[in-house]
Formats: sequence, structure tokens, C-alpha cells
Amino acid sequence: MTTAAVPPSVTQLIETFAELPGIGPKTASRLAFFLLRGKSELALRLAEALQGLVNNTHFCSTCYNVTEADPCPICADQLRDQQLVCVIEEPMDLLSLERTDNYHGVYHVLHGALSPLEGIFAEDLRIAELEKRVREGAIREIILATNPTSEGDYTAAYLVQRLKPLGVRVTRLGRGLPVGGDLEYADAVTLSRALESRQDL
Amino acid sequence: MRIRSLSLRQFRTYNRLELDLPAGPILLLGANAQGKTSLLEAIAFLAIGASPLTSVDQQVIHWGAEEASLPFSHVRAEVVRRDCTETLEVAIERKPLSNGHQRMQKSVRIDQRPIRRSNLAGHLNVVLFLPEDLALVHGPPVGRRAYLDNLLSQVYPTYVEVYDAYRHAVSRRNALLRHLRRHGGDPMQLAPLEERIVRTGVTVSLYRQQVIRELTIHIDRLHRELTGGQAWLRLQYEPNFDPVRPPAADQMGLLPEDAEERTLDVEALYTAYREALARKRAQEIDRGMTLVGPHRDEMRFISNERDMGTFGSRGQQRTSVLALHLAELRWLEQTTGESPVLLLDEVLAELDRARRNYLLDLLGNVEQTILATTDAELFPDSFRKRTTTLRVSEGIIIPVETP
Ligand SMILES: [Zn+2]
Repeated sequence: MTTAAVPPSVTQLIETFAELPGIGPKTASRLAFFLLRGKSELALRLAEALQGLVNNTHFCSTCYNVTEADPCPICADQLRDQQLVCVIEEPMDLLSLERTDNYHGVYHVLHGALSPLEGIFAEDLRIAELEKRVREGAIREIILATNPTSEGDYTAAYLVQRLKPLGVRVTRLGRGLPVGGDLEYADAVTLSRALESRQDL
Repeated sequence: MRIRSLSLRQFRTYNRLELDLPAGPILLLGANAQGKTSLLEAIAFLAIGASPLTSVDQQVIHWGAEEASLPFSHVRAEVVRRDCTETLEVAIERKPLSNGHQRMQKSVRIDQRPIRRSNLAGHLNVVLFLPEDLALVHGPPVGRRAYLDNLLSQVYPTYVEVYDAYRHAVSRRNALLRHLRRHGGDPMQLAPLEERIVRTGVTVSLYRQQVIRELTIHIDRLHRELTGGQAWLRLQYEPNFDPVRPPAADQMGLLPEDAEERTLDVEALYTAYREALARKRAQEIDRGMTLVGPHRDEMRFISNERDMGTFGSRGQQRTSVLALHLAELRWLEQTTGESPVLLLDEVLAELDRARRNYLLDLLGNVEQTILATTDAELFPDSFRKRTTTLRVSEGIIIPVETP
């Protein structure tokens, strides 16, 4: 898109789309021209949705999941086991665990995993907040459900060191999850089984 | 074992090559820079799924291919072993990423089934002998470590995996050490990485110790044969992390005779290694790098109590390297039960007549040897009569009638 024939407002949209994961320059221009060609209605709805995303959502001050209400519906749900906390890397992982219909505790979202080579260290994750939660709350068990990758395993091993001295029971999802994969892509049955076969650390 | 056919696409000088190779000695004849070494490199490339000549995969890609939008390089060979024939393939290609960048990707196949690189180990074994191998004796230790890693990677899949895991853990720890130095942070983040380093590092060390001990048995005998019984030679492993050796021995450079004999249980090694890392931690944070472990190991060539790297003459060093490669041949035969493919690049020119004949005699017992040379006159007629000669010119190979 180097020709002067494309107005700056379109170019800017294309470039913005291309910054999204999984979207190359080709798809980006296709999306932009699709919006341009269609009725302005779709583009405006998209704009509104994006505005809503930015303005109305924030992190739950307890579990750091994305929410509109604080505390989030899960943290506020008294039918859930508030003493059982499942620690996950990303909000997407929460959806996978909810799909199993087999988990009735609450969550803690780290927003990443330790990865020194990518410049992600303990202070970049919601770890101090998790520690605080354990110190303050009546938590019976922490389930470490970071991904079965080298970063996820590293993060879990580090969390054990931080949490164990606080006297809380710490477990890790059991075997059966594909090594090197993401929780996000694990099917509900496998994930359910991994939850049931979790092991003490 | 032997190679029955070789196929190259966009590898170094070769745009495209299809070559059938017979058993027995093969002479690759051609002027310099025509593709002789690249052919040997390609075969060695299949043995470990990486080039022994460069740590950057991309460098083996044919220069013309660099211009292509998605350059690639592909090596395939049919390998005949005692009980089976297999097709080994390694391809490297540049794959586009969604963000517009490209990434090198390597894929390895046996009989068209994709496998992990580590599982190439044991399917094709080679002894590669290059003129620059003299640096194995007198050069920096990084070359000797690479030599050991290439040899172990040919035979043990576990070694490949453990060593990769070790290197990955060390690079993560180094990044963390630099972060701690610059920005501070919780040093407890080091512990899980150190546990990984300790467990993989000890295994790497034990493999190296074992192969050096076994090579020494052969190298000593071969060196005596090569020197008319005048000089013994042994390889001495000096692990950077060694819980047994008293620190004073570090300065002396030499170990007591029985040093190789000691045994320690693995748990004790883990503990000592952990303590060694803990002792150096402050210094390591300061330098931003891991200072303890097998990535800093050393191996020395000791002949008649002298370190050949420092005190050996050019001739003595040459004899040491020849003995090393012949020991490697014997070790591979003994460990795998089959003779490896011998790849010799311009090696004869460097040797005197007696050593040359010794080496050529020895080839009679090897199933397949490929010798690259600029000068066919180095080989006696009696040898050339039972040898297939191929002429290499600008990446094209043609058979030559034996005189
Ligand atoms: Zn919440």
C-alpha cells in the first residue's frame, strides 16, 4: 500500500490491523476494504465495541481477570469455592477451564509466564498480588495451571518457592496435557482429567 | 554402513545434485572451492542434523537461493546399514511470520516420517577429518567442546536433548543475571533455572567423561603405532565444574593418574554443583553470565606428560589429530557395531609417506570412505585401481575412468 491512491485514513487502519496477532498485511487490507465497501453501520459497531472494550473493562482487583464489574462475577459468586484458587497465565485459559464444567473454585490470572529471554520477570506478573491474596485470605489450595511449556514449568517452580513458605497447599495440574502446548488449546476432557489428577508440590 | 545415494538442493555450492555412491574408497578430485568440502559437509550434516562447520544453519543455503523469496536447503541420503536401508532428510527453510518477518525452520525426516533432530542419532555415523582440525589440538577449547558434542550427538539422542536443555537453561539464566544486575528483582527466580542447569549439566559432563575415557583407550594404542612405540597420548577431561578435583590442581594443569577412576553418586554431584553456583552467584550477577558448568569444559591432549596444545610441534599435533580421528573411528565401531563413513578432506597432503600408507591400508577395513583432494598423485596406483574417482567442478560431479 504505497500508492498515493489510498487515503491516509485507510492506510492507518490497514497498518493498525496488521499489528494484531495472526494478521498479515494482505488480510489487513482485505479487512479494511471490506469495512469501507460495506455500510458504515458495521464499521461504527466495531468502533463502538472497541471503545467499550477500552472504557468499560478493567482487571478484577482480586483475580486480575478482565471484567466490567469489580469484583468480577466469579470472585463475587458465593456458590463457588473461594478457598480454591487456580493460577493461570492468560484470561483465555480461564475460558478453557470453565468449559470443563468441572472446576468450581476461583482464579488468579498472572498475565504471562516468566521468560527471561523475552524480558519477562517476576515483577512483570501478578505474583506479588497472588502472594498478598494468600497472606490475607483463607485459601486452602493453590492449583498451578500454567502451560506445560518450559516457561510455564519455570513459572510454576518459582511460584512453589514463593507460596510454600506461607503454609498453603500447592498443587500442579496432572499429566496428560500435551507437553509444549497451551492450556488454551487443550480439550475439556483432557483438562478435566488433569484437574482431577493434580499433584501436591 | 555406507551411503548409496545423495541428493542436495541449494546446499552451499550445489544448486542441485543427484549422486549414486559405491562402497569402498571414493576419490573426489577437483581444484579448490569447487564443492568438495561442501559434499563432505552435507553428509556430516545428515549425521547430526546440523553442520559441523557452522553454528548458523542459514550459512549452508546456496548463495543463489538467498535471492529467492523463501530460501531453503535440502539434503537427503539413502543409508545402507547392516540390517536396513533408510532415507534420511534434513531441510532448512525460511518461513514467513504473520508480522512480516521470517524464521528459519529445520525439519528432519527418516523414511519420510518427521522426527525430532535428536532422533537422528544412531542412523548415520561419520568421521569427518578436515585440514583445519589441527586447531582441535592447539586452538581454543570451544572447538574441542564442539568436537565432543558432535561426536556424542551422532550416537546418543539423550545427549542432544539434555545438552539443548542445558544451553537453553544457561541462556535464560544469563538473561536473568543481567536483569538482576541492572534492575534488581527477586534472586529466587534463579533457583528453578539452576535446578535445571544442575540436572542437565551433570548429565552432559558424565557423557563427556565417558566418551573421553573410552577414546583414550584407543588413542593411546593408535598413537603408539603411529610413532613407532615412542610416545603415548591420552585425552584429559578437565570439567569446568568438578566437585572432586582439589582447587590446587587447577593451577597445575595436570591431574593425578587415578583422577579418571573416581566415581561419585549423582545426588552428590547435584549438591556440589548447586553449591558451586551459589558460591559464584555474586560474581555471576556482576558479570551477567554463568561461569560454572560444562559450557566451559576443557579437554587436553597429553603426550609424554606434555600438553600437545601448548608444547607440541606442528608434526606432533598433526599426529595427535590423526590418532584422535582414528580413535573416533574405532570408538564408533565399538559403540554402534558398524563402521562409520569416513570423510577425509585433503588429509593425505599433510602426512609423511609412512603415515599416508598406514591410513590407506586402514581404509581397506572401512565400508566406505570419501577422500577429497586436489592432487590424485598423492595416491599410489595400487590404491587408485580399487577406487572410484569422481571429478568435482563448480558444483557438478562426473565419474572419471580409473587409469
Ligand atoms: Zn475476580
